[in-house]
Amino acid sequence: MLSLTIRSIAIVTCTLLLVMSFACNSTPKQSPEGPVTRQLTDDAGRRVSLPARVTRVISLAPNLTEIVFAIGAGDRLVGRTSYCDFPPEAKAVAEVGDTRTPAIETIIGLRPQVVLVSTASQLEVFTQQLQNQHIAVFVTDPHDLEGVFRSIEQVGEILGQKEQSGLLVRKLRERASAVEKAVQGKERVRVFYQLSGEPLYTAGRDAFVTDLMRRAGAKSVTVDVPGAWPKYSNESALAARPDAIILPTGGSMGSANSEVTPALRQSPAAVQGRVYKINDDYLARPGPRAIDGLEAMARALHPDAFK
Amino acid sequence: MIGTTRDIAIPKIRQNRVTLRKTLIYCALLAAALLLAIILMSLVGSERLPTRASLCALATLGTNACGLTQDQFDILFQIRLPRILLAAAVGGSLATAGAGYQALLRNPLAEPYLLGISNGAAVGTMIALIFFGANEWVRPLLAFTGAIAATFAVYRLARGRAGATPERLILAGVIVTTFLSSVIVFVTTLMDATRIRSFTFWLLGDLSGTSKALLPVAIVIAVLGALALTFNARSLNLLMLGERDAFDLGVEVGRVRIVVFLVASLLVGSSVAASGSVGYVGLVVPHLARLSLGSDNRISIPAATLGGALFVIVADTVARTIIAPRELPVGAITALIGAPLFIYLLKRA
Amino acid sequence: MLEARDLTIAYDHRIAVADLTLSLRAGEITAILGPNGAGKSTLLRALNGQIPKSSGVILLDGKPLERHNRSSISRRIAVVAQEAELRFPVTVLEFVLGGRFAWAAHSGWGWETEHDLQVADAVLLETELGDLSSRLMNELSGGERQRALMARALATEAPVLLLDEPTANLDLSHQATLLKLVRSRCDQHGASAVVVTHDINLAAQFADNIILMKLGKAAHSGKPKDVLKAEVLEEVFEVRVLVDTHPITGGARITPVI
Repeated sequence: MLSLTIRSIAIVTCTLLLVMSFACNSTPKQSPEGPVTRQLTDDAGRRVSLPARVTRVISLAPNLTEIVFAIGAGDRLVGRTSYCDFPPEAKAVAEVGDTRTPAIETIIGLRPQVVLVSTASQLEVFTQQLQNQHIAVFVTDPHDLEGVFRSIEQVGEILGQKEQSGLLVRKLRERASAVEKAVQGKERVRVFYQLSGEPLYTAGRDAFVTDLMRRAGAKSVTVDVPGAWPKYSNESALAARPDAIILPTGGSMGSANSEVTPALRQSPAAVQGRVYKINDDYLARPGPRAIDGLEAMARALHPDAFK
Repeated sequence: MIGTTRDIAIPKIRQNRVTLRKTLIYCALLAAALLLAIILMSLVGSERLPTRASLCALATLGTNACGLTQDQFDILFQIRLPRILLAAAVGGSLATAGAGYQALLRNPLAEPYLLGISNGAAVGTMIALIFFGANEWVRPLLAFTGAIAATFAVYRLARGRAGATPERLILAGVIVTTFLSSVIVFVTTLMDATRIRSFTFWLLGDLSGTSKALLPVAIVIAVLGALALTFNARSLNLLMLGERDAFDLGVEVGRVRIVVFLVASLLVGSSVAASGSVGYVGLVVPHLARLSLGSDNRISIPAATLGGALFVIVADTVARTIIAPRELPVGAITALIGAPLFIYLLKRA
Repeated sequence: MLEARDLTIAYDHRIAVADLTLSLRAGEITAILGPNGAGKSTLLRALNGQIPKSSGVILLDGKPLERHNRSSISRRIAVVAQEAELRFPVTVLEFVLGGRFAWAAHSGWGWETEHDLQVADAVLLETELGDLSSRLMNELSGGERQRALMARALATEAPVLLLDEPTANLDLSHQATLLKLVRSRCDQHGASAVVVTHDINLAAQFADNIILMKLGKAAHSGKPKDVLKAEVLEEVFEVRVLVDTHPITGGARITPVI
């Protein structure tokens, strides 16, 4: 009898403690250190509270690191992922892990005011943890070139570099327009984007690079495939008979993906030698260098348009 | 109380014992079904092919295009048919290996994945891909090595005073497989992001890799492995009912054990090297074979081989057509079909 | 038929059997008795090579055991197991046919011949399992299963039968049935049986020879009337016993005095 009572008390107490601990953890506190003066809405629809002046920022995606440096705020970057290798000055910044599993403790130890996150890196889980530590998290999620421009402007606004970001966006827009004008009226080249060979992955409807290809005067044969990076059937790739193949390779990827997948070796593209290797860093990172990727693709696909 | 029964399911009607004639008839039926499946599934895919022309081309074994365009011909003979044949080889190999393990370990739940053999082969293949990526022959070699190493580890771990009882073997297998799973996760996290996606897909079973040279190897290994185990089927019948009894009745237990382990490791190694880990085949197919044809290995092993080939061909067809032109890993389909099927089989006991 | 000379079996740094000599003759039942740990089962298992010997010689038909191959031994020596591991469903007929394995032309593969089936039928008849031949082994009762194990051993047509505590899990009627089977085999087919048992009274009834083992050695051996004496049994089992004559069978009747 007595032991039964004690057991029940113990169980109830433990349950209460458990429930309380969950309750405490689940209260989101989004206010960062420093006086809150403004609120911005990020690409995930969240209202993020930020101090007037942000002096310490961490980037958890290579494209965001490039944007921070490109708008002249590189000195305020206190943390980056191990994949953030551009510009070269970025390498001097402290590493906080990789894009998939950054080290929460290191991030917290660096006392940033805001952490820039790309949903492409699947960071939903630990975003919650950072918020619990009163560190603002700002999510960017560009799906196309306009999205990239918006990311640059958003980062500019966060870091108080609106002039520089505006200037950068204007210049990039000019270059993009120049490319689109040059290929205007030209017949669109049917392109297959080979993300990886075996197994065969390509760029789908929601991939950022699909928009770039469109602007470069190409028609991606996989433009209607749902998703961003679908695993594609060899048969369909063969049947598509692309006239050009884009191989993102080099850069941080090294020599991987530098060969056309077997299913496409007899395609018109491969037979005519229209296989173009383009620096993966330009095409995989929705940042300023995306314009370099755009230009590279356009020159490869329509060489006559660029003299 | 003499004898305890821990079998999973009792066959409905078991009139006669297994004879050579019965075996040949059932195997012929299954082989015919397999041939039919190969033909029918090669008409199905993410690209539509004209049925009559395709059948005609298949009938002439590719010598006559029968009106198919060059692309259609290539799709049929360069992409689809090799893939289907690989599915058959992988399915046959894994089912045979599963049947062998179940007989040898006297446990209907023994399976290459559960015993850590699949993961051992996967680790071997990963090492081959990372360090010897260019040379595709290294892959099945290291996969086989990994499978053997895992088998050896399981066996050493399981050895107690009473010898390696089936229970200890399964337990050791679970330990080895979870350890190797962590190794695989470790290696994949060290890889850069671009390769992780393809690796994860491959680990779940991917038959889209078309290696011209390795396909005949996979087929030959599947056939030879099935023959090797079938020729030990009578010994396995006795081993299935106890190692001591089998020894007393004249079975060379040590020799049969080594043969089964080596052959099964070879079968698993060749499958994993070609297509990653396709799960549930080694568990469900031999079980179905025993359920419908009896526990006599002389019929249930070849039946499992042919049944496994059929199973994976069908599963892979689903994997490559259901969200066409995108693809699912075949291991996901075999699990989706295999798991409920297995629960149903368990419930029937 | 089967002979062991100065047989010693040691494992785990223990000597299980020490310098034991025995000789089996056709038509005779030899019972091996002794306290727990005396080495009885180890001896039995070594006689067909299941447990390796450390020294001494085991002769099967005059040739050392090592010079026979596995199937040759299994054709000459059959073990009646105590229980069957029935993890997979198998019919009685299939089970009993397992005893024909040693006679297979190609071991490991091959199919049962007409002769195999005839032997199986005869043996099923002998063990009164004729009606149950197509039933599953796990559907049988304990006694029926024991008879099936016996049938499988008989199906090997081996002249030497080794039985390890065959009556341990049987009720009285089944005990009698089993030993009568062994007796008739020995009498009618000239077989020789070695029975390890705890049941001294049963041994007194059925055995032609008795070996009393203690601590691995054959403490006493000989005919039942010579071995089953009070002072001998008390020395081996270290317990007081009363030995009198069974009023019906005329053999020895042993009762422990507690």
